[in-house]
Amino acid sequence: MRLEELAKALDLTELTPPGAGSEDGDITRGYASDLLSDVLAHAPAGAVLVTLQVHLNVIAVASHAGLRAVIFSCGRTPDDDSIAKAEEEGLRLFRSAADTFDVVGQLHDLGIRGGTAR
Amino acid sequence: MRPGDPSEASRLTHFRADLHIHTALSPCGSEEMTPPAIVAVALARGLDLIAICDHNSAGNVKAVQQAAAGRLGVLAGMEISTAEEVHLVGLFPDVAAAEQVSVIIREALFEADDHYYSFFGPQPLLDSDGTVIGTETRTLALATSLQLGDAVRLIKSAGGLAVAAHVDRHSFSVYSQLGFFPMNAAFDAIEISRHLPRQAPILDEYLALGLPITSSSDSHYLEDIGSGCTDLLCVEPTFDELSLAFAGVGGRSVCRA
Repeated sequence: MRLEELAKALDLTELTPPGAGSEDGDITRGYASDLLSDVLAHAPAGAVLVTLQVHLNVIAVASHAGLRAVIFSCGRTPDDDSIAKAEEEGLRLFRSAADTFDVVGQLHDLGIRGGTAR
Repeated sequence: MRPGDPSEASRLTHFRADLHIHTALSPCGSEEMTPPAIVAVALARGLDLIAICDHNSAGNVKAVQQAAAGRLGVLAGMEISTAEEVHLVGLFPDVAAAEQVSVIIREALFEADDHYYSFFGPQPLLDSDGTVIGTETRTLALATSLQLGDAVRLIKSAGGLAVAAHVDRHSFSVYSQLGFFPMNAAFDAIEISRHLPRQAPILDEYLALGLPITSSSDSHYLEDIGSGCTDLLCVEPTFDELSLAFAGVGGRSVCRA
């Protein structure tokens, strides 16, 4: 499923400028964790990350792990520096008012699956 | 004589410092961690300087300073748990500065209930004799609502030094919580735990950060005091001299003892 479709289905707010991500194509995998050392070690490349962690390092870790997008749950919003950095890295950021459990549930309903890549 | 004066080099002395010790106020700290007991063990182990760093509170710092009565240096500190669940050691110029931060940290916690105390343990405020004079009622064992960057700024606004606690640990450290070391966070130093082997390959990565490295015991029990130590090369075992040693002024330095 394309990111735009996911964002619409989950009623997400896009934090980076629309279409900032250079890559296109379907998202098929997801990962949920607030421990960035765990994200670094286990999130599959190309995945969408769901987290409530809003530290700038989320962007560095997501970029390093080759993730496509981050959904911040519980209405959390990273600061402007993080959003600017994500845009530079071609990473798209979204916000959901729902908590992590519900965001992941909705993604799963849409066919997005987990699974560790590395 | 000003710091950095060349004639000062001859006055540099090695001091033994354990800059991360809990008292019984920390819910995970042993009840035996009273001010007189901590001071007695620190003196017996040949320490010149200690820092009292309870979780999210500076409530027992003054009592330990009074118990020490000038026999060893006791720095006012606090181990702050940030919203990311990163542990951060703040070291302050004096008790007043630490207590000023402590007030703000209190507001960033919850009020404890019976279930909290039964799970985490008591939080006694002690006097210099080790007598219980009160109870801290906020949830010291839990994370505050302060983001890491804000916590570092808070420490600095009180004139303190911010140290990334036990960076080698797999929980509550900057690496475990944030994946990469947050270079934008303006830490003054990083702390390695007493558990890290002396020749651990990861030490090269820590050295590459270009920050001073302290080694501390993170004692929650009397027997652990001094089991992790920093060799502090400076003029006297004080906060100001530690600041200068972190900055490497006039030949001062810190390293693992």
